[in-house]
Amino acid sequence: MQQLTSGALLDAVRGVHWPARRITGGAFQGAHRSKRVGYSPEFTAYRPYQQGDDPAKIDWKLFGRTERVAIRLSHDESNLRTTVMVDASASMAYPPSTLAKWELAAAVALGLCAVAHADTDPVGVAVVDGAGLRALPARTRRGTVANVLRMLLDTTPSGSTPLAPSLGALRSSRRIAIVSDFLGDADALLEQAREMVAGGREVYAVHIVAAEELDPSALGPVVTDPEDATIRRPLEERELAEYHESFGRWREALAASWRAAGAVYQLATTGEAPERVVRRVVTPVLTADASA
Amino acid sequence: MSFLAPGFLIAAGAIAAAVVALHFIVTREPKMVPLPTARFAPDRPARGHARAIQPRDLLLMLLRVALILAVGAALARPVLRPPRRALARILLVDRSRAVAREAEAVDSARALLSPGDAVVVFDRTATVVRDDAGDTLAVLARSPYRGRLSAALIAGLRTASAMREAADSFELAIISPLAEEELDQAADSVRALWPGAVRLVRVAAATDTAAAPVVVVEGADDDPLRFALPSHPARARDAAPPTVRIIRGATSGADSAWVREPGRVLVLWPAGAFAPRDTGAHAGPALPPSWSVRAAPDTVGAVSANGTVVVAPFVRYAAYGGKTGDDADAGARVAARWVDGEPAAAEARHGAGCIRTVTIPVPSRGDLVLQPRFARLVAAMTAPCGGAASLAPIAEARAAALAGPASRGPAARASIVVPDVTPAPLVPWLLAAALAFAAGELLLRRRARGTSRVTAREEA
Repeated sequence: MQQLTSGALLDAVRGVHWPARRITGGAFQGAHRSKRVGYSPEFTAYRPYQQGDDPAKIDWKLFGRTERVAIRLSHDESNLRTTVMVDASASMAYPPSTLAKWELAAAVALGLCAVAHADTDPVGVAVVDGAGLRALPARTRRGTVANVLRMLLDTTPSGSTPLAPSLGALRSSRRIAIVSDFLGDADALLEQAREMVAGGREVYAVHIVAAEELDPSALGPVVTDPEDATIRRPLEERELAEYHESFGRWREALAASWRAAGAVYQLATTGEAPERVVRRVVTPVLTADASA
Repeated sequence: MSFLAPGFLIAAGAIAAAVVALHFIVTREPKMVPLPTARFAPDRPARGHARAIQPRDLLLMLLRVALILAVGAALARPVLRPPRRALARILLVDRSRAVAREAEAVDSARALLSPGDAVVVFDRTATVVRDDAGDTLAVLARSPYRGRLSAALIAGLRTASAMREAADSFELAIISPLAEEELDQAADSVRALWPGAVRLVRVAAATDTAAAPVVVVEGADDDPLRFALPSHPARARDAAPPTVRIIRGATSGADSAWVREPGRVLVLWPAGAFAPRDTGAHAGPALPPSWSVRAAPDTVGAVSANGTVVVAPFVRYAAYGGKTGDDADAGARVAARWVDGEPAAAEARHGAGCIRTVTIPVPSRGDLVLQPRFARLVAAMTAPCGGAASLAPIAEARAAALAGPASRGPAARASIVVPDVTPAPLVPWLLAAALAFAAGELLLRRRARGTSRVTAREEA
């Protein structure tokens, strides 16, 4: 947890923005483009005056030059309620000696919260561990990031609580980032995320993978699942090739299914700098929809 | 050392070898390493083989092997065999009343005795002495009882069987005057069981110094029993004081006092039947304590005493309930038996003399009492206490038959009967060692388990 408490991460993500992928409908002033067209000083377009428009919005200078009565339009900007959901199941406490998966997940969650908070978005965090869901409601006030940090520091990954029900409880947030290894209820979670995307929410999936999971050749002859003791498999040379193939296929299918659901999917590997992961997540991706 | 059941030792060796093999080829579940993505590994049985060789385990293995071998050796019944000698002797030393001087028998025995030989001292019973036989011979005393060579021969045969592994051949020596009375009817049959020759060392026989008994019959003058006596009673009474009194009626305290003197015999031989002890004196003389009146008197065909058999339809009205033989009080003896084996007459010591109770009816009709066989029966009933001694040596021909042909020599070991039970003194020690090994194994295993728990706790 050195990188969480040192402040280096927050320094590294300072100045990074996390723009909304769509026009937002927030009621409060923020950094994201709002659906509403209102009184923002940023000019957008003219529209002929119609009965019922506020006469105060008539651009009299334009009327003087062109004798056309038009009103001046401008887009509003609003904030985006953001919640970062962190998977704190037993599988995240890996490797047992360093807990590198959990440290990376916590760092990425903190970085995302810090970036969103810097954009004046209400930001909160939801931690799902063996005890269930523990959430910090989205706030914009100062000290929110510190509260998030405190909550993450107080968390010890354990248990195997499913994430999907907890995700369903976060419907009030318009932007949800899920930081997990997706080894639990991945299908139910994807289904829940698909519904949220269909409901106009932005969903980000940050897949945390340990380097040892990518290459377990140095582990031992028999491996066991920390969340399910009944899963005990041999992992010697003969089984390694099958493991690589099977795990690789699963990762590809997972990424494809989340992207197909309209979510942003990013893979993060332990050993990678968390600020780089944060930048990759918040950087707008040109999808077919967006480019259109 | 040899084993009576070596199969158990072989089986124990095989089991111990299997234990050693299993100890070095241990199938253990390999150490589990957590991996959250373990589910992507192919689903195959996660077992492996690991060799475990640790000093502590080696000690455990040694204890287990020792335990198995100790139990196997105990079941195999090891026997320690001393070095086998060329010849071992079994000396049958006579100490019965037929021996004139016991010192002569002892000297003869010592002349033959070697370390490791066995001595059987006998009179009416036989006692085997295998260790420190010289000490036993030093205190050997002459016995007042009749010797029984058959009992000594049986003891000698058993001793030879027990000593079977101690020598290559065995010599049986009888140191005895070989009086007639010592050889009963079983002696020849028992002698035939000895496969070799028998060395006979004859010592001087005691002489029968007792004078012929002076018998008086205290009864009616026409008592038929008087005519069965060898001499006329009237003359015997006049010649010398009686040594044997036949009471044909009730006894008195004076009779009991009389018989306490040495060499006196009081024969209770009522003319009629004995009366039960709880009836009045008028019903007849009372039965001695060892006897009881039969509820239903029967008729028995014959009676035997001292080799004489008298065949006649005797009425049997009393039954003997006392003990005879080794269990009896000193001096108790059956003097005559009915043809079915039940006692017909018995004697008991009384002071220095004895009281002999005879329940054989004397017929007053017919000529039975005049026949020589009945006279011999009466002579047996009036014999001195302990029966008539026949201390005359046996004939040379019978002695030669007893010794057997000299060409047979000592009995070879192979011809001696194998004993039914061979003592194996090491068995209890081996079982105790097995128990000690088992306890040590248990303690070591518990200690190892405790150590592994502490290690696991420390690792946790």
